[in-house]
Amino acid sequence: MNTWIKIARYHLLKRFTYLALPWAWTAFGFAVDLVIFALIPVSHGHHRVMTAHGLVQVQNAPAGRDAAGLAGIVIVYFVLGVVGIAQQMPFALALGVSRRSYYAGTALLGVALATVNGLAITALQAIERATGGWGEAVHIFQVPYILDGPWYLTWLTASVALAVLFGWGMWFGIVYRRWNLPGTLAFIAAQVTVLLFAALGLTWSHAWAGASRFFTALSAAGLTGLLAALAAALLAGGYATIRRATI
Amino acid sequence: MTPAISVTGLTRRYRGQLTLDQVSVDIEAGATTGLLGRNGAGKTTLMRIIAGQEFASAGSVRVFGASPAENDRVLRRMVFVREDQVYPEFRVGDALRAASLFYPDWSGEFADSLMADFALPRNRAVKKLSRGMRSALGIVIGLAARAQVTMLDEPYAGLDAVARHVFYDRLLADYAEHPRTVLLSTHLVDEAAGLLERVVMMDRGRIVLDAAADDLRGAATRVSGPVLAVQEFTARHEVWDRRRMGSQESAVIVSPLGEADRAPARTGRLTLEPVSLQELVRYAACLAPDTQGSATA
Repeated sequence: MNTWIKIARYHLLKRFTYLALPWAWTAFGFAVDLVIFALIPVSHGHHRVMTAHGLVQVQNAPAGRDAAGLAGIVIVYFVLGVVGIAQQMPFALALGVSRRSYYAGTALLGVALATVNGLAITALQAIERATGGWGEAVHIFQVPYILDGPWYLTWLTASVALAVLFGWGMWFGIVYRRWNLPGTLAFIAAQVTVLLFAALGLTWSHAWAGASRFFTALSAAGLTGLLAALAAALLAGGYATIRRATI
Repeated sequence: MTPAISVTGLTRRYRGQLTLDQVSVDIEAGATTGLLGRNGAGKTTLMRIIAGQEFASAGSVRVFGASPAENDRVLRRMVFVREDQVYPEFRVGDALRAASLFYPDWSGEFADSLMADFALPRNRAVKKLSRGMRSALGIVIGLAARAQVTMLDEPYAGLDAVARHVFYDRLLADYAEHPRTVLLSTHLVDEAAGLLERVVMMDRGRIVLDAAADDLRGAATRVSGPVLAVQEFTARHEVWDRRRMGSQESAVIVSPLGEADRAPARTGRLTLEPVSLQELVRYAACLAPDTQGSATA
């Protein structure tokens, strides 16, 4: 455990990257969204608008206009996971750390930061609700279906989602570190193939209707459970891979 | 001799190519061992496997009696900064702080004085350092960690002569106060000769020489003079190399010289000079058998 904490501190030598960067990016997305929505009159229509963060759905205003500013922090978390391994691992191993400890310490940091930042998202969501969507009826920290329940569920779901992205990024980082670009492309191809077979399986077993019923009926808590299972699977996959990684 | 590192039958294959071929060697505890050999001899691969950074295809490594692979208890007693070490996006000072986290015997004071000796800028990004400065950073980390097993891979690549001597002097001084097992790979054999207590020579993935450095000094002699005199002299000795230029000949012999051997030299007919460690190592590489075993002196 002691070594795990040392690994977390090792990462945090790059304080700006781990602590400030996700929020600097989120603040930027937030500002962009606010400016764009300030330009668009609140209407009662149902249409889509292109913003810096891609297609933004503006629906049933003034009940709330959904922006995608939160996508920024999600992307940063994936990148942090990649960098946490691909850039940081070789030097830690030079300093007498085992892969196992390195992985556990990095994952610990990822989960801890996800928990803290999940709480920050929850707080910002509360402010967003209290200010009527920052005065512009904009939903940046409320995401329909995923992040629109009670505060504790928002906290849990946001934390788990960030941890999933971090774990996914770590796995990519390991593959890139060990097998470079060809390996990374093969890894992406493998993931697409898995999804493809899942889709084929659903088609052949005529289970699409059942699957869509399952996801429609899934509560936010159920979704969080599903994400947690995904996070566990990604962490286990990364762990199995890092044991074979050489530097 | 108590080995700190014990390597047995270690083999590493990369796509059918043998990088390490049945390597067996013991690295003495509390001594400085030089790992010598040409580029591609397998020195770095051997050190990477000892440090747990790479895996063996066959054979075993024991450090303090246990396998280092994924073994925190063993690994935390070792430091191994590679010549081509990949650093995070750190400044020099961050790299030192990182190292200080993991080594209980880390000496910040020693690191500071080494930084001053090498004139390393603490605030410069590691990736902006010159080759020599990167080597110096590796040396600072390797020495200030005061790890029980300190492995240095080509520690003076790119270092100028002054900095190299700083390294020798500081290593010797610190080693006297804080004994540890030092394994360093190098091409610059003679310059490092004063440091080395043992010499392990590798060639094409095999150990070709494993000897105490003292035994090697004076182990070979170059005899030069008129062809006939040299041939008469060398008839009694094992000859490694022979070169003729006109009426003069020069031969390298490996058997020890007695008083009777030195007499012709005194008469001025023959010149006898000791062969340097560097040359000895070169001969060892040239004469290494292609198919088997190691030479032990």
